[in-house]
Amino acid sequence: MSAQTQAPAEYRPAGQLDITTALLEYRGPWNSRLAAHLLRRAGFGGSPQEIAAATTTGMQATVSKLMHFGSDSQPETPQGDISYDNGPLADKMQRRNAIIITQLWWLNRCLLTTNPLQERMVYFWSNHFTSGIGQKGIMPAMMVSQYSLFRRYALGNFTQLTQEVSRDPAMLRYLDGVVNRAQHPNENFARELMELFTLGVGNYTEEDVRQSARAFTGTTLDRATGTTVFNPRLHDAGVKTFLGRTGNFGGDDIVSIIMTQPATARFLARKFLRAFVYDDPEPELVEAVAAKFRGSAYDVGSVVGTLLRSNIFYSPRAYRALVKSPLEIAIGAMKTLGATAVGARTLGALPQMGQVPMQPPNVAGWPGGRLWLNTGAYNARLNYLHQLVSFKPASESAMAMAMTAPNQSLPPGMDPQIFLAPAGHISPPTTWVAGAAMNDPISVTERVIDAVVQSDATAQQTQDILNYMSTDGIGNRVALSGENFEEKVRGGFSLAMALPTYQLA
Amino acid sequence: MASRRQFIQQGVGAFAGFLAIDSIFGRAARAASAITIPGSAATRTLVVVNLQGGNDGLNTLVPFGDPDYYRVRPTINVPVGDVLRIDSSIGFNPNLAGLKSIFDQQRVAILQGVHYPNPNLSHFRSTEIWQTAAPEHIIDTGWAGRYLDDAGLPKSNLFKGLAIGPILPKMLVANTTDVPTVDGFRTGGFRGSRNEQSHADQILNGGSETYPFQSPYLSLVQEIEHDANASSTELPHLVAGYKPAIDYPKTPFAQGLNLAAAVIGSGIGTKVIYISLGSFDTHTGQRGTQDRLLQQFGDGIKAFYADLAAHNLDSQVLTMTFSEFGRRVEENANRGTDHGTAAPMFLIGGQVKGGIYGDHPSLTDLDFGNLKWHTDFRSVYATVLENWLGVTSAPVLGASFSTLNFV
Repeated sequence: MSAQTQAPAEYRPAGQLDITTALLEYRGPWNSRLAAHLLRRAGFGGSPQEIAAATTTGMQATVSKLMHFGSDSQPETPQGDISYDNGPLADKMQRRNAIIITQLWWLNRCLLTTNPLQERMVYFWSNHFTSGIGQKGIMPAMMVSQYSLFRRYALGNFTQLTQEVSRDPAMLRYLDGVVNRAQHPNENFARELMELFTLGVGNYTEEDVRQSARAFTGTTLDRATGTTVFNPRLHDAGVKTFLGRTGNFGGDDIVSIIMTQPATARFLARKFLRAFVYDDPEPELVEAVAAKFRGSAYDVGSVVGTLLRSNIFYSPRAYRALVKSPLEIAIGAMKTLGATAVGARTLGALPQMGQVPMQPPNVAGWPGGRLWLNTGAYNARLNYLHQLVSFKPASESAMAMAMTAPNQSLPPGMDPQIFLAPAGHISPPTTWVAGAAMNDPISVTERVIDAVVQSDATAQQTQDILNYMSTDGIGNRVALSGENFEEKVRGGFSLAMALPTYQLA
Repeated sequence: MASRRQFIQQGVGAFAGFLAIDSIFGRAARAASAITIPGSAATRTLVVVNLQGGNDGLNTLVPFGDPDYYRVRPTINVPVGDVLRIDSSIGFNPNLAGLKSIFDQQRVAILQGVHYPNPNLSHFRSTEIWQTAAPEHIIDTGWAGRYLDDAGLPKSNLFKGLAIGPILPKMLVANTTDVPTVDGFRTGGFRGSRNEQSHADQILNGGSETYPFQSPYLSLVQEIEHDANASSTELPHLVAGYKPAIDYPKTPFAQGLNLAAAVIGSGIGTKVIYISLGSFDTHTGQRGTQDRLLQQFGDGIKAFYADLAAHNLDSQVLTMTFSEFGRRVEENANRGTDHGTAAPMFLIGGQVKGGIYGDHPSLTDLDFGNLKWHTDFRSVYATVLENWLGVTSAPVLGASFSTLNFV
């Protein structure tokens, strides 16, 4: 199979690109809007404290801190049993629990990591070198180990990462490497390696696919341990001709040859630009980024670092120019509200918004952009956000029911509060508007709009939220007081998160 | 882009003050009925039923006359005496009595041996292939979404397509058409307190204000936000006038069909409705699971068409089933079946030329243990697009496919 998926061309920002200054370091004014912009793109959004800190420390220091990963506060593997019998007698509940535990582990990493750019790159690579949890026999532990690989190479060398991916257990299952044998070559991985992971369509021939598939034969999985093994008896050791070169190539040689092609850097440059800057980047911008990528011998960190410090990144053309994915919506909102853990209800809501964590829809990954937006998914976004800001701990009776349900719906070892809520404990609403004058609806409204959309609201929208703050359900004026304050703040956040602005990264 | 942007401004401008007083869709429906010609493609609806998970064709439409069937299915076969016979060789699973009753009125076409070249045995990829009608490529839009984009239907109708269930299926993903999803008569719109709701309506319907930033996506987000709010607010009004003529079974599938009937009956002009039933992924203990689901399917469809007939709508609704694949010919060791290939499709409706189309695939001449297909599903889609929905199929399907004559 091949993929034909392209970002629609009509979502390039208006205005002219100045290619001579685009990638030079930004030295313009710095403020909380740009700090929040950086934290949205280079992570999953900033908490109010993180935005304030980044505003104070400045662009250079914030980018440097993002790019230098320390030891992470979050566990490298899920806590709990994530194994199950993958045979025909699979226990469906055990399988479900293992997948839930693994997905929650990763969402918690996105929320709580002390290295947000590193986890953001895990998300980027997981949507580039795609695999799907529970699909094609991919066990949760394989996804965990693949994500560790992405974490190790988050800003590392792309050639080495690609070579590692070619023998990654989840990838071997996802693209049929496990059945790629000298006797019966399977071209699935070889084709997607070139089409979706490196060169892009039109930069190789069908014969290149056939020849390179032979080079990857013999790398398979040990059935008992699920780890990668090389079986020389299944490997085609013959001579291959690939992209004009001839030799007794193995898989790593194929990857090295691919990296000699200018198309590879161009393909990745476009992806980096679409992920971090804006959709449908101009060819000259792609070319400039590709030149840097090639010049750095495929050092991802140097390219991402250049982008995050660049004029183009902080230009009005890039600002709010991308559509937030459901994951960015959920994690970003939890950061704004001070959530301490992701709840399982978030896992239920994300598919309704169009995204199953750790499970892209196909080998081409989530296409993003306009395809995140349809009416059903949009309502799901607003309702999820409303559920989140209305957060109340689950009642005793609901917890009791979850724990004693006949089908044991509560995964073993999971806190019922986590299982029954979109988030773990979140900060009380009074803290969301810290610094506002509590009796002043104008002050509270300003804080709400600043916290949620960094003041990127229209005058009318601000007025609408102010009206909500200062009236009751039938239009009578009410004062903000201790009695209605929490409810009003929650409602105000819900309304602000329903603004079109909030859907844009 | 220009036309989309234009639409938002016109749309919002035209509807803003109107929302609270009357249903914008009431008006749209009246406009639609004024231009439709009875019996033409303009009043027709296609309902697509996804038998999700891979429905076993051999135990749905049972080749009881073939001794090989009982050889390959020693423990999970449908006994000869239980089969609802069509002829001397083939008949329905006994749980499909509801469907059989419609078949007996010559209103069910059974297409045998349907699939596509180089079958893919992965659920998610094969489902995507059926929904995009693109076995060779991964593409972003669904076949019904592309039809809706190209059909020249009025922009003002937010219910040109409809997905019943929580998630928009890829089949209805379009380039320029936003298809709403509804999860029952109470819809998936913004649910807040009364005060939040009234202010949310203000915000969600807000129009042409000046934002303090530019974004290439801003007008699209505003348009989707408006459509999402309007469609969910208006659905209850749209279906309020519809009274089902019969009691639908209490299953979610039948209740979904009830909603489909109500939307069709409103006259809004919905062209494609999607609904799914499952999971048919019967690796173990197949008979129990599949029988229960087939009964839900047959009884639901029977109720749906009885209701449509009572409203004189049965001739304008065509229902088409699909499943990502059939199942392996030989049963496995767990009284189940593994993923397979070809399977039958059902086409149901008042204008369907009932009967059996195509031969039953051989149970012995197999492709790695799987049935050999002979009819490409895109021929079925082409037939539905050309003969039912009245459009040229090639632009939607990306190539020309021969049509069949079931409708």
